[in-house]
Amino acid sequence: MTSTELLRAEHLTRHFKIGGVLSRRTLHAVDDVSFGIGDREIVALAGESGSGKSTIARVLARIYAPTSGEIYFEGKPVSAIRSRRDRLRYSGLVPMVFQDPFGSINPVFRVQHGVLRSLKLHRPELSAGQRREEAERVFEVVGLGADMLERFPHELSGGQRQRVGFAQALAMRPRLILADEPVSMLDVSIRIGLLNLMAGLRDAQGVSILYITHDIASARYVADRLIVMYAGQIAEEGPIEEVLAHPKHPYTQLLLSAVPDPRAALSVAAETDRGEPPKVIDPAPGCRFRWRCPLAIDVCAQVTPVLAELAPDHQAACHVARAEAAAAPAEKVEQ
Amino acid sequence: MSEVLEVSGLSVDYAADRGDVRAVDDVSFTLDRGEFLGIVGESGCGKSTLLFAVAQLLSAPARIAAGSVTFQGTNLVGLTDKQLSAVRWRDMSVVMQSAMNALNPVKSIGAQFTDAMRAHGKPSRDEIAARSAEVMRMVGIDPVHLGSYPHQLSGGMRQRSMIAMAMLFTPDLVIMDEPTSALDVVAQRSLMAQIKELQLSFGFAVIFVTHDMSLISHFSDRLMVMYAGQVDEFGPTRTVFDRPQHPYTRGLLEAFPSIRGPKVPLKGIPGSPPDLAAPPAGCRFHPRCPYAVDRCARVEPDLFELDEALVRCLRREDGSLPAPAGQDGSMRR
Amino acid sequence: MSIPLSLGQPAGEPRRQSTFPAASHALARMGRAVRSNRKATVGTVLLVFFILVAVFPGVIAHDNPSLDAYKPHLGPSTAHLLGTTAYGQDMFAQLVWGTRNVMIIAFTVGLATTGIAVLVGVAAAYLGGLWDSSLGVLTDVLLVIPLFPLLIVIAAYAHGGGTLLLIVVITVTSWSYTARQLRAQALTLRSRDFLQAARVRGERRLYIIVMEVIPTMTSLIVASFLTNALYAILFASSLQFIGLGDPDTVSWGTMLYWAQNNAALQTGQALWAIAPGACIAVLGAAFALLNYAFDEIGNPALRPVRRSKRVRSA
Repeated sequence: MTSTELLRAEHLTRHFKIGGVLSRRTLHAVDDVSFGIGDREIVALAGESGSGKSTIARVLARIYAPTSGEIYFEGKPVSAIRSRRDRLRYSGLVPMVFQDPFGSINPVFRVQHGVLRSLKLHRPELSAGQRREEAERVFEVVGLGADMLERFPHELSGGQRQRVGFAQALAMRPRLILADEPVSMLDVSIRIGLLNLMAGLRDAQGVSILYITHDIASARYVADRLIVMYAGQIAEEGPIEEVLAHPKHPYTQLLLSAVPDPRAALSVAAETDRGEPPKVIDPAPGCRFRWRCPLAIDVCAQVTPVLAELAPDHQAACHVARAEAAAAPAEKVEQ
Repeated sequence: MSEVLEVSGLSVDYAADRGDVRAVDDVSFTLDRGEFLGIVGESGCGKSTLLFAVAQLLSAPARIAAGSVTFQGTNLVGLTDKQLSAVRWRDMSVVMQSAMNALNPVKSIGAQFTDAMRAHGKPSRDEIAARSAEVMRMVGIDPVHLGSYPHQLSGGMRQRSMIAMAMLFTPDLVIMDEPTSALDVVAQRSLMAQIKELQLSFGFAVIFVTHDMSLISHFSDRLMVMYAGQVDEFGPTRTVFDRPQHPYTRGLLEAFPSIRGPKVPLKGIPGSPPDLAAPPAGCRFHPRCPYAVDRCARVEPDLFELDEALVRCLRREDGSLPAPAGQDGSMRR
Repeated sequence: MSIPLSLGQPAGEPRRQSTFPAASHALARMGRAVRSNRKATVGTVLLVFFILVAVFPGVIAHDNPSLDAYKPHLGPSTAHLLGTTAYGQDMFAQLVWGTRNVMIIAFTVGLATTGIAVLVGVAAAYLGGLWDSSLGVLTDVLLVIPLFPLLIVIAAYAHGGGTLLLIVVITVTSWSYTARQLRAQALTLRSRDFLQAARVRGERRLYIIVMEVIPTMTSLIVASFLTNALYAILFASSLQFIGLGDPDTVSWGTMLYWAQNNAALQTGQALWAIAPGACIAVLGAAFALLNYAFDEIGNPALRPVRRSKRVRSA
């Protein structure tokens, strides 16, 4: 763990009990996930539904407590946060922006309500007038005019509402924003504006962002690093250009081939895979992707693969990829 | 007759306190047997309303204000429910956006198929069972799932069941309203391929509405781009992709970040779609158009023909806006 | 990459800036809605009329309703607009003064029932767990007991107690239905992102319940109030009619009681029964109309479609 890392998750696990009161079945939403987020960095957490990406966001936001594992924020363990003051401080430094522009703002209040409440709770030293000024400032930063403060949510478009969500987060002077699929429910032509805003927040405001998405193309547009999740575990992670150019995990390769790109020819591989991510209930050991994997070998059914560095700063959890990486330098030597 | 559907001058109005709002403005197109038409647009463009109008599923306060929908020689506008039921599901079926909303949550899939079949004939129990199993296999689902309830199936399987249900009578036209939007990218791609395969096997025409232009690019024969209730561009898919004429189409195509090739900063299309109760004067897109001039705010452009496509743009019409360069690496289908 | 500037007009009607707080904006919007919706207008006019009568009965009726100084069995005349009862009391005065009793019952029961239901229902939904289960048991027990027989039993035990007893009895037996409804709606709101957003920014639970959840439920709460007020009138009048209220109270229900006792309909004094009955019906209709109107205002899909004569040019 580097001391410059803003946030570090170590062996994060979150299980849910499912079934009735007497049931002993557990849903493994997140299993043994470790990753780090640095300063001024946008990390994309990509995966299909059921991959655990939203659960991770909620664990980081302390909506859920981890079943096991630890989160270190600014070097200190998050589980040590007990007092209301510390909890408030953490929620101001690590706020969350939600997916649904129509459900994430209270419809009965003007849009300034959330921002002003955030300021009241997290920056109590400000007077009412200063709060108002600060609300205007963050609205300007996210690209909404100060005159928007008095509007009601139903008067704003979806894209503008998402900007309000970012304004609410910014008002608390965060260090890391957890953005849970912030553009998925917006029109395509509006998404770019929000993505540009996120990049701007990283560059000009120095805020890191954990960008949760199922859309790899948008991840590439804003993110510096990419973490690919499958069935509650990390399949692959690394600098985004490197991972997209040389995907090591078969799941990453499948995802990339399924992304519709009008300029490229149709790829066959993704057509045969039905896109049925598993519900991970009381899983047996072994790779969780093996049933869909065209490259699966015997060991995949017996041993759960762990993340291993297969190229500089580029990790993947796959037996086959690991074997290939080990063999490659040997081949080079032979030649 | 190779023409399956002819929509002529179709307009749909929503009654509102302050005067009717025109949600679909004078849309015309024809659809040949086995043709795949994609309709693309964003929120508020009227594409879903258009779809519902064609399928005769509009309910108050919406109503067809003008135009005709001629399906296999008969104008559907103005027919009673009883007259329409002869056509519904047998010759024309509909696949909705969200299976969880369209399927009955308290009935098994098989029971819903039975309902559909009984509504249009008197098949025996064996005939129902055989056909239900057959359509499920067509979409790649094990017929054992006929006994399942919708919530027991995954999202992808539910959407496939919807398509199976639409295939019960092998209609000549299947209308689809964003059937893949609730699915993840791999399931989306798989479902699209399945739809295309079925279409090629059985030869039915498809009208496919979506907001995701890149999704439809490999599957549709012709593409219609809608904005603020009007058709802004309409032509063969490859033509629209390779040589987008309308500034909105160009903006849309540029709003998709690519995972291959160089990383470029994109702009999207700033602004929002207009309020149809008070649309902008002149061209409806001009407030958001990077190429707009004074005339665009005063004169309403009509559709005109240009390079195999129909376009609604003053500056393309008079040539003051240059034609688009062909896209690099464009692949012919 | 540069940060894009403000993005043009939003879809939807642009509103003028207002410095009023949200509450008065809501009132202004309600006023507009009432004027534009026919049901709301009629209901409001009727309700306001009855409220005025209840507040200023002396202005309209100059006689003392309980005074039995007049000649009995008189028909309508200029001196006695509805005639007199079998006991020589002025019927019109009784009707007018009785309005006060009815309105007090309606509003008190309406407010109390809805208030309890809000507390119990919303708290149960938001707090969940053991709170939800125990409050749920309490609610369900009261829900299952048949209401009217229970009312009769309690009122009979109390030997014709006054208006206050009526109010208490009806409130205690009526709140559970509304509590269930409000709990159900609060449950649907619980998963809404804006509540999670409030929690994540550090709000306390009580604040969230009072300031974030309840304001979004106002239309259901108002509708509940109107329904409960309506049923309060009907139940109270019914109890008074069968003699379980205090028969000396001046009220529409007690008028019916005395009219029934004197076989008013059979002995040519039909007005004695019809007048209070009609008032109950009209006031009930006022509440019902307002209820429908609020539904329509809150849910545009329910509004009747009126084809506008002006066609908007494209």
